[in-house]
Amino acid sequence: MSPPSLTGYRRPNGGWGIRNHVLVLPARAAANAAAEGIVEGLDGAVAVAHEWVGVPGDPDTALVERTLAGFAANPNVAAVLLVGVSGEDEGLAALIDSRGQRLEAVTMAAHRGTVGTVEAGRRIAERLIAESAAAVRQPMPIAELVVGLECGGSDALSGITANPALGIASDRLVGEGATTMLSEVPELVGAEELLAARAVSPEVGRRMVQVVHDFERSVEALGVDIRGAQPTPGNIEGGLTTIEEKSLGAAKKAGNAPLTGVIDFAERPGPHGLYVMDTPGHDIEQMVGLVAGGCQIVAFTTGRGTPTGSPIAPCLKISTNTAIFERMEGDIDLDAGRVLDGSHTLQTMGEEIYEALLAIAGGAPSRSEVRGNREFAIRRAGRSA
Amino acid sequence: MSALPELRGFRRPGGGFGVRNRVLVLPSVVCATQVARQIASAEGAVGIVHQHGCLHVGDDLTHSEGELLGAATNPDVGAALVVSLGCETLRGKRLAAAIGERGQTVELVGIQAAGGSERAVADGRAAAARMSAELAAQEREPMATSDLVVGIDAGPEDELAAGLGAALADRGVQVIAPPDGLRGAEAHVSLARLGAQLLLSLPPAEEAPLGFAVVPVVAVGRDSELHRALAGDFDLILDDGATPEAAALVFERLIAHANGEETSAERRGARDFVLHRLAVTM
Repeated sequence: MSPPSLTGYRRPNGGWGIRNHVLVLPARAAANAAAEGIVEGLDGAVAVAHEWVGVPGDPDTALVERTLAGFAANPNVAAVLLVGVSGEDEGLAALIDSRGQRLEAVTMAAHRGTVGTVEAGRRIAERLIAESAAAVRQPMPIAELVVGLECGGSDALSGITANPALGIASDRLVGEGATTMLSEVPELVGAEELLAARAVSPEVGRRMVQVVHDFERSVEALGVDIRGAQPTPGNIEGGLTTIEEKSLGAAKKAGNAPLTGVIDFAERPGPHGLYVMDTPGHDIEQMVGLVAGGCQIVAFTTGRGTPTGSPIAPCLKISTNTAIFERMEGDIDLDAGRVLDGSHTLQTMGEEIYEALLAIAGGAPSRSEVRGNREFAIRRAGRSA
Repeated sequence: MSALPELRGFRRPGGGFGVRNRVLVLPSVVCATQVARQIASAEGAVGIVHQHGCLHVGDDLTHSEGELLGAATNPDVGAALVVSLGCETLRGKRLAAAIGERGQTVELVGIQAAGGSERAVADGRAAAARMSAELAAQEREPMATSDLVVGIDAGPEDELAAGLGAALADRGVQVIAPPDGLRGAEAHVSLARLGAQLLLSLPPAEEAPLGFAVVPVVAVGRDSELHRALAGDFDLILDDGATPEAAALVFERLIAHANGEETSAERRGARDFVLHRLAVTM
C-alpha cells in the first residue's frame, strides 16, 4: 500500500511544519503576563507562560535555554515573538536565531513594563500572523515527519492494546523513512537491554543501557525509593504492579524497528529512524522535550484518561480500553480497546493509528487542539535555585 | 503621630482576616491546568497554573503538597476548588480533604471522575459560582494593624528590606520572612503558606518583579536602571532607601492595597506560581 499523501508547510530553514503557529514566548516568568496579554483575543498566536525565573548562575540555564530555543524552533512555528525583560535575554534570542527560525524580539525594559510591552508586542504579533498566513500547505515527504511516542496514565492494558498497536504504526512510519521518538527513561527501566539489542551499533546499545543506569544511580543518590513515584497511584489502580511491568508495556510503543540513536533531552535526532530521548516520565516535561527536539506531532496512549496537549503540536490520544474512551470521548481521539472485542487486530489498529496520525498531520484537528490544551513544563536537572 | 489608618478585611472562621476574598481554583497536577483555567475564568475566581503534581519522590512530594495546601488555606482565599486529574502522584482527593480539615471551604472536581474535561469544566464552574456567590455576600470588617501579616521577599542582607521591615513592625504590622533563604516567586508561595495576607516584594536591582495569584504582591523598586525602565510594573520606586518618608509611604500603600486597591501585578494579570522543588521530577 502506498503511503497516503501528506501535506505541510516548508520553512525557509528547510524544516517542515504541519501547523502554522505564531509563538509568543516569554524569556522568563517575569514576562509571562506580557506574553499572555499580547495574544489575548488574537487569533493565530499562542503564548506559553512558564516557571523559569532565570536567576543568574542557575546551573540549569543551559538546559532550559536549549529547551525553550528548541521549542521555539519547532517547524510547526512559523514565527516567534520573544518577550524578554532586558538585554539579558539576548542570549536566548541568539540561540533561537541560530536555528534559522523567523524571530522578532521585544523587551519590557524598552516599554516601561507590561502595559507598553503588550501594545508594542501586539503590533509585532499581528504582523507575524499576517506574514505566516501567506504560507501554504504543499505535499510533504513523509521522511520529514517526526512523531513522538508517549504514554500517560498507563494501566494493565497499555502493554496489550494501545502500545503495541502504536508500535505497529511506528514501524510503518520508520519503514517509510519517517522518524519516531520514544522517551520517558524512568519507564524504560527493565526494558533497556531489549532496546539495546535492537541498536544499529554497539555504541548506541551501550548508550541505551547507560541512560537507564544513570537514571537509576541519580535516584539512588537522592536516597529515595523510585517505587514511591513509579508506578503512580493511578497506574496501580489501573492494574500495574511494578515499574518493570510498566516499562515492558511502555517500550512496546516503539515496535520492532532498529534503534537508530539515543539523544539528550530537547536534542534533535539525526535523519530518519527510531530514537530514544532521555526524558523524565512526567507527561508534560517529556512532551515539551519531544517537541523541542523537533516532533511535529505526538501519539499518546492512555489507560486512565488524560486531556494533555501541546501549545504548538497536535497530540493524538489513544485509549487502551473502551470504557475510558467512552467516558472521555471529548479528550481522546481513538479507542484501541477495540482490539479486545475482536473488532480489530493489533495490525488493523496500528493501521488506523497510522492513518489518524497522517490525517491530523494534514490538518485535521486533534481532540487536544479542539479543547485548547496547551500544557507546558520546564525540565529541571537540579534542585530549583 | 497621626491617627491609625482604617483597615478592613474579611473575617475568617478560625480568627484572623483576609484582605482578598476569592475562590482559588487549584489544579493538583499540571494535566488539570487547562480545565482549571476554564473554570477560573468565572466571576470571583482566580486560578493557579503550575507544572507539578506528578512523579514527585520522597520529601519533595510532602513539601509540594504542603505548599499547595498552604496556598489554598491562606486567609486571602475565601474558598478553594481543587481540580484533579485522578491518577496523579499528588492526589487531588487527599489535598482537598486536607484543605477541608483546616476549616477552609473546599470542593473537588476530578477530570477522570467527571468523565472528561468538558464535564469537569461544567461541574467546576457550577461549584465556583456557588462558592463565589457566598463570598460576595461577605462584607469587610474593621481589623487592627496588628492583624495584618506582611511577608517580605528580598535578597539576603538587603538593607532596604531590613529598614522597611523594622518600620512596619514599629507600626504594629506582623512581618515575616521566607524560610530557607528563598526569594522571588518561590518565596511568595512559601510566605502564603505561612499566612501572609500581603507580600512586599523588593527585587534586587537587576531583577524584574513577579506577580502571584494567591496573595497581592506590592512590588517596590529601587535606584536601578532596570527598575526605572520597568516603572509601570512596580507599585512604588524608592530612590533613597528606607528613609522615614519612604517607610511611611510604603505603609500607606500597603494599607491601601490591603483595603482592596489592586496592585500593579493584579491590574496586569501577573499570576506567577513557581514552586520550590526539593528533587527533580521522575
